[in-house]
Amino acid sequence: MTDRTASPTISDSQEIEHLVQREYKYGFTTDIEQEIIPPGLNEAVIRLISAKKNEPEFLLEWRLKAYRHWLTMTPPTWAHVHYPPIDYQALSYFAAPKSRENAPKSLDEVDPKLLETYAKLGIPLHERAALAGVAVDAVFDSVSVTTTFREKLAEAGVIFCSFSEAVHSHPEIIRQYLGTVVPASDNYYAALNSAVFSDGSFVFIPKGVRCPMELSTYFRINARNTGQFERTLIIAEEGAHVSYLEGCTAPQRDENQLHAAVVELITLDDATIKYSTVQNWYPGDEEGKGGIYNFVTKRGDARGARSKITWTQVEAGSAITWKYPSCILRGDDSVGEFYSVAVSNNYQQVDSGTKMIHLGKRTRSTIVSKSISAGRSQNSYRGLVHIAKSADDARNFTQCDALLIGDRNGAHTFPYIEAKNPSAQIEHEATTSKISDDQIFYLQSRGISEENATNMIVNGFCKDVFNELPMEFAVEAQALLAVSLEGSVG
Amino acid sequence: MNPTRAALPQWLADHAPAAPLAPAALQQVAREQIHAWGLPSVRDEEWRWTNLRALNQPAPLTSAAPAVSPLMALLPDALFIRFIGGKLSELPEHCPPGLHISRLSDAAPDARQAAFAPVAANANDALLALNTAHADDGLLIEIAPHTELSAPILIDWQDEAAAYAATRVLVRVGAHSRATVIETAQAADTAALWRNSVMVIEQAENSAFTHIGLGLDGAARRLTDRQFVRLPRDARFTSINLQFGGQLVRREIEVDIRDTGAHCNLFGLMMPRGKQVLDTHTRLTHGAAHTTSDERYQIIADDSARGIFKGRILVAQDAQKIQAYQNSRNLLLSPTAEIDTKPELEIYADDVKCSHGATIGRLNPEALYYLTSRGIPTARARALLIQGFAQEILDLLPLPALAEWLAERITQTLSQEIPAQEVPVQKVAGQEVPAQETPQ
Repeated sequence: MTDRTASPTISDSQEIEHLVQREYKYGFTTDIEQEIIPPGLNEAVIRLISAKKNEPEFLLEWRLKAYRHWLTMTPPTWAHVHYPPIDYQALSYFAAPKSRENAPKSLDEVDPKLLETYAKLGIPLHERAALAGVAVDAVFDSVSVTTTFREKLAEAGVIFCSFSEAVHSHPEIIRQYLGTVVPASDNYYAALNSAVFSDGSFVFIPKGVRCPMELSTYFRINARNTGQFERTLIIAEEGAHVSYLEGCTAPQRDENQLHAAVVELITLDDATIKYSTVQNWYPGDEEGKGGIYNFVTKRGDARGARSKITWTQVEAGSAITWKYPSCILRGDDSVGEFYSVAVSNNYQQVDSGTKMIHLGKRTRSTIVSKSISAGRSQNSYRGLVHIAKSADDARNFTQCDALLIGDRNGAHTFPYIEAKNPSAQIEHEATTSKISDDQIFYLQSRGISEENATNMIVNGFCKDVFNELPMEFAVEAQALLAVSLEGSVG
Repeated sequence: MNPTRAALPQWLADHAPAAPLAPAALQQVAREQIHAWGLPSVRDEEWRWTNLRALNQPAPLTSAAPAVSPLMALLPDALFIRFIGGKLSELPEHCPPGLHISRLSDAAPDARQAAFAPVAANANDALLALNTAHADDGLLIEIAPHTELSAPILIDWQDEAAAYAATRVLVRVGAHSRATVIETAQAADTAALWRNSVMVIEQAENSAFTHIGLGLDGAARRLTDRQFVRLPRDARFTSINLQFGGQLVRREIEVDIRDTGAHCNLFGLMMPRGKQVLDTHTRLTHGAAHTTSDERYQIIADDSARGIFKGRILVAQDAQKIQAYQNSRNLLLSPTAEIDTKPELEIYADDVKCSHGATIGRLNPEALYYLTSRGIPTARARALLIQGFAQEILDLLPLPALAEWLAERITQTLSQEIPAQEVPVQKVAGQEVPAQETPQ
């Protein structure tokens, strides 16, 4: 076995990323004056954050309650990940706007290697500038696009805005739904997020409306700088339908090491939410130094009968991923789906999976999890299927497959299966294997290079999940996989 | 980091074994550990499904006369060892050449050291520490190299006449030897003895050892049991764990495959009924290349019972060319019963073939329909299907007489549920026989 960690391509591109990112600063769109709050967390800081955002009293109270609860909690230790303890008092909880002075003025100033990566991923030209941190309005007028989208959405009655905006424009909806899926006291990171969340997205699809567009393109251009404690709330009323994409396939760099986001989804009768994530945060260098800690709580509450929540995720970045997008299937005949591809390379650690909690009758859930570990990474699937007494005729199917590339990494499966209703049918299957030499040989004998052969096999392995992604992102996700695993074979 | 743990129940803290078996230093460490940890709680990951609340109070003493083990008649040539209330009361009069059985307290210091070699690491292991601290009786079974025992060794645990017992057994299987040990546990339904046992199995290379754990009658007895097995080159270990009785039974089987060519079978059948909690955790480590394992566990839970299975397979780094198969299939028969299963894979090598599967379901409605359409009453059809499901594990028993006897027992238990008026209908080929439908 050759040492696969010393892959020239990966290390080069990351080094270049470093160089680029030293100058890479986000353009800020909020109009808060630049201000730095000293690191540390206490009630005064929370009051200050709330005051800065001019929040109503109920939200401040909610934050303080979450903070007081957080103080009584300890960080979870059950996950299959290792990292030094985080000093929460050393973090700064108010993201000060970053200077744009050093930002590249145009794409010509951006490192060509980074642009090459974007090209490989097939990212549209105008978006490349935004992603590379070029002062956006200089090359691309995002405002006009935003406006067009907004008009179209408003026509349909869809509310889609930043969380802070929604707090002012629709406080009653926020008050009604905030924290009802992920309570402030849910877990350590959710409590921390509830206390100090910076911003995020708010989506409200009224009764009977089918959102006229994928809320993805819009998001990709606009939702920069939601900060390290993101909070998203999506509500689909009776019969509504929305597809939402979070994140981006392009390598993104962030100054903040800890990300603790919370996402809450709510579907009423016959509503559908399709939430897709492509996550490619900075994974740290090849020695495993640096990199984002991604500790996310995502949960959907299928409250209404016949409602449906689909989580699709492609996890390629972050040094540590701790993430379990879940579905509470409360409504009768509701459906939960989880499709995941988790790729880890170098020293990345992934502990991800889902929770399907069946409460309603005839609820169904499907879990398809594909993990690919390369380098010295550890990749774990951790999932819960819980069938409550009330869930007559519930059905679950789970498939977890792990692919190992190299012999210094690990692939693990920790499925928790709990059944309290005899009419439930639960099936779980998992396999772990490597790409067989026979498969590679077969393809190579037909003139396909080893690297391309591996890509083909890996893409085939992930096909079930990519099929669930919005089309344009499926294409990018395939490319992302190839880039992430570049050099890990052969 | 460590949330405050409940203190060790007073009656356990006060318990002082008359003559501790463990080497003094180890016993001292274990005593400190149990006082620091208390009993495991559902907040400990390994115990999230099994509540030990019932052990907070000592069980009431009963004085039923120990029964005669039904296996004595079934396996007349078995070497018979008996414990009553956790105290060794009978050893076989004659041992075949190559076999040595003695009280652990009479064994050489190195054997005692080996018997207490497994050390508790954290609060999940609190019961192991408790055993080390309190064990006061036990057994040493030594099988010399190149010995093939034709008759099984039968350890009959009569869990009567005491409230609490801690025992330790060491089995040493010499190179190229072959042996079978059967442990049966039973008690009168009123006896609520809690036996906390540990068995350490040391196999030498190319040995084959089969352990059959049989949990029989005793509606109130409690058993927590932990087994440690070490497999060197070409050794084979088979564990068959069949649990039918007991109020709370928690077995932990840990197999450490240390060298190439070794193979391990872990088979289990648990049939909790009433309010029983039957729980088995297995941990299998493939620590060397070219080793294989096969694991099959089935639970049939009825009434308000609870069946729990957690199986972990760990493949260490550089342990290539492993084949590991794990299957957990479960039948949930009642709306108040519960089954929890967690088949885990932890894999650090890449050239492996590891797969696991888990299912929880009810009886196949199509199979039921098939049987009833042929004139078999529903209740009987159900019994047949349950029997067939259990039979898959019983068929793996190497002792046909035992398998037959257990199958008969299961048939009897199941037929108790069939209403009296439902006489099995004689089936005549090619003739419609009206089925006597009974509501389920």
